[in-house]
Amino acid sequence: MNQASSPSVAPANQVQAVAAAQRLASFASLLREHGLNVGVSEQQAMLDMLLRVGVTNEKPLQAAWRAMACHTQREWQQWPDIYQRFWHPDAVRGGVKVSGQTKPSRNLRQQMQSLHNDMDSATNPSGSKAAPHTAGDKPGSDSEANNQGESERAMGGASSTDPLHSREGQMWLPQELQALRLVARDITRRLRPKPTRRWERHANGRRLDMRQTLRNSVAWGNEFTLPCWKTSKTEPPRVFILVDVSRSMEAHASLFLRVARAFALEAQARVFVFHTRMIEVTPLMLRDSPAVQEKINAVTAGFGAGTRIAASLQSFSRSDARAQLGSNARVWVMSDGFDTDAPDDLAKALQALSAQGARTTWFHPTRDVPAAAAIRQARHSIDRFVPLASLADLKAAASKLH
Amino acid sequence: MTQDASDQAATGGASDITDARRLRERLSRVGYLADDDLATTVWLSDALQRPLLIEGDAGVGKTALAQALATANDAKLVRLQCFEGLDMSQAAYEWNYGRQLMAIRLQDGQRQLQDSDVFQREFLLERPLLQAISQPVPCVLLIDEIDRADQAFEAFLLEVLSEYQITVPELGTLRATHIPQVILTSNGTRELSDALRRRCLYHYLDYPTLAREMAIVKSVLPHADTHLVEEAVAFVQRLRKEDLSKIPGIAETLDWIRALFQLKQTSVLQDMTATLSTLGCLLKTQEDRFVIGPERITQLVEGRRSVGVAEKKQDHLQAILGNA
Repeated sequence: MNQASSPSVAPANQVQAVAAAQRLASFASLLREHGLNVGVSEQQAMLDMLLRVGVTNEKPLQAAWRAMACHTQREWQQWPDIYQRFWHPDAVRGGVKVSGQTKPSRNLRQQMQSLHNDMDSATNPSGSKAAPHTAGDKPGSDSEANNQGESERAMGGASSTDPLHSREGQMWLPQELQALRLVARDITRRLRPKPTRRWERHANGRRLDMRQTLRNSVAWGNEFTLPCWKTSKTEPPRVFILVDVSRSMEAHASLFLRVARAFALEAQARVFVFHTRMIEVTPLMLRDSPAVQEKINAVTAGFGAGTRIAASLQSFSRSDARAQLGSNARVWVMSDGFDTDAPDDLAKALQALSAQGARTTWFHPTRDVPAAAAIRQARHSIDRFVPLASLADLKAAASKLH
Repeated sequence: MTQDASDQAATGGASDITDARRLRERLSRVGYLADDDLATTVWLSDALQRPLLIEGDAGVGKTALAQALATANDAKLVRLQCFEGLDMSQAAYEWNYGRQLMAIRLQDGQRQLQDSDVFQREFLLERPLLQAISQPVPCVLLIDEIDRADQAFEAFLLEVLSEYQITVPELGTLRATHIPQVILTSNGTRELSDALRRRCLYHYLDYPTLAREMAIVKSVLPHADTHLVEEAVAFVQRLRKEDLSKIPGIAETLDWIRALFQLKQTSVLQDMTATLSTLGCLLKTQEDRFVIGPERITQLVEGRRSVGVAEKKQDHLQAILGNA
């Protein structure tokens, strides 16, 4: 146990007490960094509890802090790890505390240079960094461009079309993000709400709510002065977006995460990222700050590893979203389909999702449906495949996503 | 923190921890075995007068905690069962129009009626929330399955949970005479709003460990055969790791062992027909019954779920059982 920093050390004097309070403030800051909603009031309550329970009673103190700082199951499960890393770093083997961005920041000049490079590589496909045969490519477009000597993008960086609709973006400008949100809003509107067998009160409803009308009439001496109306109740679909951030998806994860964020904001979608394991990132996605884009890059960088799609989907359906999966659920998997699990595992995992009533859509960065063995076996459990490598692809898919 | 504060913390802390332990013992006496963390959180909820939101799968003991707490504290349990379409008239209060009309007719012609003649507390029908804040002694208010209620109702709850008051437009604000201990439960079928979550302390109640579940069963069914209890609980623990559509909770375990006990079984494998016929206590869907057949039951009882890692887990499980 780290005697200098542990909460179980009783401060002998005021200086030590102030140090403990400062240490608690650092801990609260770390909790916030990990997405826990710890504001001033929570921090104050934690300090009060420190005074009340006493610093020598670590176990109940930790339990009390956990009840105050955590507000969701995700945070609850995250807590032991964060607590150990902060208060008992010596007990954590091989742990490295990571905070802030993990990729070098780029200034505006570098960003513009990057944009130009993207444009150049777009006009010169041989130099493109993007994966071959991405969905943004039109069939035969390379050869046609070479043959005809012109393409949608003119030479020298000048363009006859707005590039944001077709560029496979790593760097996104504010107007592009706004355009993405508009597309997400449009798709969200098209998502068909599920009709239920229930009725709800509605001022413009078509059916008379006799029970409520009678109930209201009692207040008016049983005179039917205020008729109440009702309409059939519908439930908006619940969207779950699962983004593959494994190494093979390095070139595409950035776009997918931005798309996921747009839907988290517009459709209240829950967003998960996975490689060999799955984690929910919805709170991060909902935070409206310029740093979020950098955080997204950090998430992408931090998860560059192998892929276990089947295991991740099983974890998703068994624990992460177990209670929320039903006939109203739309599960959007954004992945290239390369899986290190046994090929038939993915089919089983998707069948389990279907059995719960969820409808699965597979977004793939390639133009054609992924040829991975796992995908071939699981095809019958996937409602539809949608190529997605640019904003234009997402727009084109709007009519299919309902 | 000053020296005085430190001293206070040292003395006050000890008494607070003792309070939490006492609460745990009281809960234990009424048949609810809470772990240290849960007991501390419940005590904290009472000490800070803040609602406690408990999330977890169905059957892990969320509602039972509120019932046990009320019994342990010798307090009244006021329960509000949430459902889709729940509104204020069903949750908080409603005017008793019938009585109001009768009062109007009785006074008809005698004098000029005023609002205060019919909008009085005596004409108010108290629903669970108003009942809870009007109790002459502190009570336990259980708001069960809050995730089933609509979001609009959640917004209404904010005033009740943060200020412990209900505003009736015709009467004014009715404040709590005694702050109730509020416990909200949720199965997680819907995301609750951040505003509601931030007003509550939080505890996630998971399925119990093998040792805890065994202790719970022995506490509720003290006369059941020890070997049967150990075997059945270990079986249920393994069953929870299977891909089931409805995972059995503690209540299901108790029902099943009770059924086996009634059938005078001393082992799960003693009579497979009896075991299969009672399996409905654990498995509540057709698909789950289909998946768990006699062969699978034998495998799960004997711990041969799969080779490799699972076998090591089984050895570990047997070691625990041996110690127990």
